[in-house]
Amino acid sequence: MPGPKMIRRKFLRNSLGLATAATAVSLSGCSGKKDASRRGQITFGSYADPALDLLKDVFLPEFERATGIHTEWVEADFSGWFQKALNDGQTKTGAFDIYVMDDLWVPRFAGAGYLANLDELGFQPDADFVPSALDLGYWPPKTGLRQPGIDAKAKSTLYSLPLISDCQLFFYRNDIFSSGSPATWDDVLQMARQKSDPARRQYGWVTRGVKGNPIMNSFFVLLHDFGGDIFGENWKVVINSPQAVEALEFYLKLLQYAPSGVAEFDSDQEGATLLQGNAFAATMWTGWCPQTDDPAKSRVVGKISFDVPPRNIKQVAKLGLFMAGIAAAAPNKTGALEFFKWFSNPSVQLRFARAGGAAFRTSALKDGEAQKKGRWLDATLRALTCGMPSPRTSDWSKVEDILGTQLNKALLEKGNAKRHLDAAAAEATAFLKGAGYPVA
Amino acid sequence: MMPTDGRSTWIPRLLIAPTVICALALTVLPLGYSVLTSLREFPLGQSPVFVGLQNYRNLLHDANFHSSLGTTLIFTVVATAIEFVVGLGLALLLKEEFSFQGVIRSSLIVPMAVAPVVVGIIWRLLYGADVGLFSFAVQALTGKSISVLSSTTLALPALILVDIWEWTPFMFLILLAGIQSLPQEPFEAARVDGASSWNIFLHLTLPMLKPVIVVSLLIRALDAFTVFDQVFVLTQGGPGTATEVATLMIYKTAFRFSQFGYGAAMAIGLLVLVMSFSAALTRVFKSSI
Repeated sequence: MPGPKMIRRKFLRNSLGLATAATAVSLSGCSGKKDASRRGQITFGSYADPALDLLKDVFLPEFERATGIHTEWVEADFSGWFQKALNDGQTKTGAFDIYVMDDLWVPRFAGAGYLANLDELGFQPDADFVPSALDLGYWPPKTGLRQPGIDAKAKSTLYSLPLISDCQLFFYRNDIFSSGSPATWDDVLQMARQKSDPARRQYGWVTRGVKGNPIMNSFFVLLHDFGGDIFGENWKVVINSPQAVEALEFYLKLLQYAPSGVAEFDSDQEGATLLQGNAFAATMWTGWCPQTDDPAKSRVVGKISFDVPPRNIKQVAKLGLFMAGIAAAAPNKTGALEFFKWFSNPSVQLRFARAGGAAFRTSALKDGEAQKKGRWLDATLRALTCGMPSPRTSDWSKVEDILGTQLNKALLEKGNAKRHLDAAAAEATAFLKGAGYPVA
Repeated sequence: MMPTDGRSTWIPRLLIAPTVICALALTVLPLGYSVLTSLREFPLGQSPVFVGLQNYRNLLHDANFHSSLGTTLIFTVVATAIEFVVGLGLALLLKEEFSFQGVIRSSLIVPMAVAPVVVGIIWRLLYGADVGLFSFAVQALTGKSISVLSSTTLALPALILVDIWEWTPFMFLILLAGIQSLPQEPFEAARVDGASSWNIFLHLTLPMLKPVIVVSLLIRALDAFTVFDQVFVLTQGGPGTATEVATLMIYKTAFRFSQFGYGAAMAIGLLVLVMSFSAALTRVFKSSI
C-alpha cells in the first residue's frame, strides 16, 4: 500500500518542527554545560611557558582531587594570549575564570577593571608571602609613582597573586669563575677579557639584543646597578642621566666579548649559547635554571651556578613574575578563589618548591629539602628580596619599545651611548606628554 | 524578465537577504567599527572618549609611521618586481612538455604551501648568526662571520628574499596558466615569418599576457603591502627600525601598547593607501584589462 503523499506544506511543517526540536535540544545542552561549569569547573587562560608545566601537570590534578573542582587549561603563545585576555576582559564574556599574566599586565588589567578585587572576595595574604612578589598584585601600586588618572590617595587593592616567582638571576660558569660568584660587574668584564676566545666560540658574556622588551630587560639590571633609573620625580624620563650613560657604555664594553649576532638574540638564543657551553655568564630568568642540570638540554651540567646579579653602586635583580588574577566576569569566582587559597597554602607551596617549582612563600623558598632539589632557590629568594619590577604604568610597553629601540641602535653601532639615550629620553618624553603625564 | 506580480519582487530579495546580511556583517560592519574606533581614545579604566580626527592629525606628524610606510613601500616594490621577473622566467622555461614536468612544477610550489610563520622560523634558522647556513657559507668563503638579521643594511633585503622564496611560485603559477591559455596561431605565424624568440616574446607574448600580468602584480603587491608574519618572526621590526613595516607598527600600537584608537587610525590610513595604490595600478593598465 502506498504511503501518504508528502505535500510541500507538510514537508515544510515537518522540517520546521524538526528544526525547532533540534534547536531546543542544543540550547538545553548548552545551558546544561553552563550549569555544570558553574558547579565545579574553573578555566585558566595562559601563555605557554615551560615554567608552568609543574603546575599544569602535577598540581592542578592534585587540586582537582582535593576539591572536586574540575580545571581546564587554555593556552596560546605570549602575544596571542595577551590579545585573547584583553578581548575577554573588555567584552566580559566570561570565557575564563583565571588569567595567567606577566606582571607587566597587572596595571593594564587591574586599571581597566578586568580583574576581580581579591580583597572583596575575601583573600587574605599573610606575612610569609615574599613581599616584593605580592606587591606586584596590587593596583594602584603600593609605592612609587602613580600614572595620571589614578587618584594619589586611592587605596592599593589586591587584584592578583604571584603564581611563579620568576626573576633574573646571574648565571655563571663555576669552572671559569673558580673562586665563586663575581662580586662586581668589573669582575665579570675582567674575566671576559681574560678568557674569551671567539675562535673557539668561548664568549665572556651573552645577552638578549633584540629591540624592545628583550634588550630593555637585559639592560635593566645594569642600569639600576650603576645608579640609573628610567623615571624620576613626576615621571620625568631620566634614562639619559650620567649614571645611565655609564651603564650603557659598560654594557657595550661587555658586548665586545659576546657572540657577533647578539643583536638578534632573544631568550632562546641566549639560553642556548649558555647551555651549549659557549658563554661564561648571563643574566637570565629563573625558568632556565632547571634546564642547566638537564643532560638532554645542557652540555654544562653542574657547571652553572646562580646568584643575584653583581653589584656596582647598587645590587638589583629584575622581577618578572607570573601572576594570576580572577576575571571580573569569571563564571566561577568561588572556584577560582578556592584555587588561590589552595595553591597559596603553606603546605602546597612547600611541596611545589620541593618538586622544583619557584614558590612565592618565603618559608617554601628557604626550605632545605627544596633548596637541595632546586639549587637556585636560595639565589631566587635573595633576588626577589632586592628585586625591582618594570615601572608600574599601563603605558610601560610603549616606553619600553622606545627605549629598547634606541638601545638596540647603540648596540649595532657599538657606541654613541649618550646620543641614543638622549634620543630615547626625548621620544619617551614626547609620548608621555601626549598621554597626559605631568612631564616637565 | 520583468516581474509580473507583487510576490515575485520580494521573494528574490528575501532569498538573497541572508547572503547580503552575511557579507555586510563580515566586511562593512568591522570596517565601520574600525572607523568608529579610530575616532576614539580608550583611557585606562574609563569609557572610550570621542576625539574626532585627532588620531588622524597625529598620524600626519608621526615620523615613525611615515618611516614604516617607506619601508613597506620598498619591500612591496622590490619583492613584487623580482617575484614577477623570476616567476615569468620560470613560466617561460617550464611551459613546454618535458620529462618529470609534474614533479618539478609541484616542487616549485611547495614554498607557497608552507605557513608564513613556519617560513619565518625556517629562515630564522638559515640566517642565524651562530648556526645559520648563510653565516657558515660566508665564513667559509671570506673568513669573516656575518649576522644577517642584525645588520641594518642586510635585514630588509633578507626579508625580501624570504618573500621572494615564498611567493615567486604564485607568480609562476598564474603566469604559466596565462601563457598556456594564449592562442597558438599568432606564434606559429611569427615563426613562419622568421621572427626571433626575443621578438616573439617582446611583441607577442608580453602584450597578449598583459591582463594576466596586471592581475598577478596587483594581487602580489596588495599582499606584500600587508606583510606581517615573516617580519614578526624574523626581526620584530629590527635591527633598530630597519624592518619596521606598517602592519607590525599597527599591531604593536593596538595590541601591545593598547592605543586602540590610534592603531585603528593607522589601519584606516594604510587601507586608504593600499586602495589608492591599487586604483593607480589599475588605471595605468586599464586599457589592457
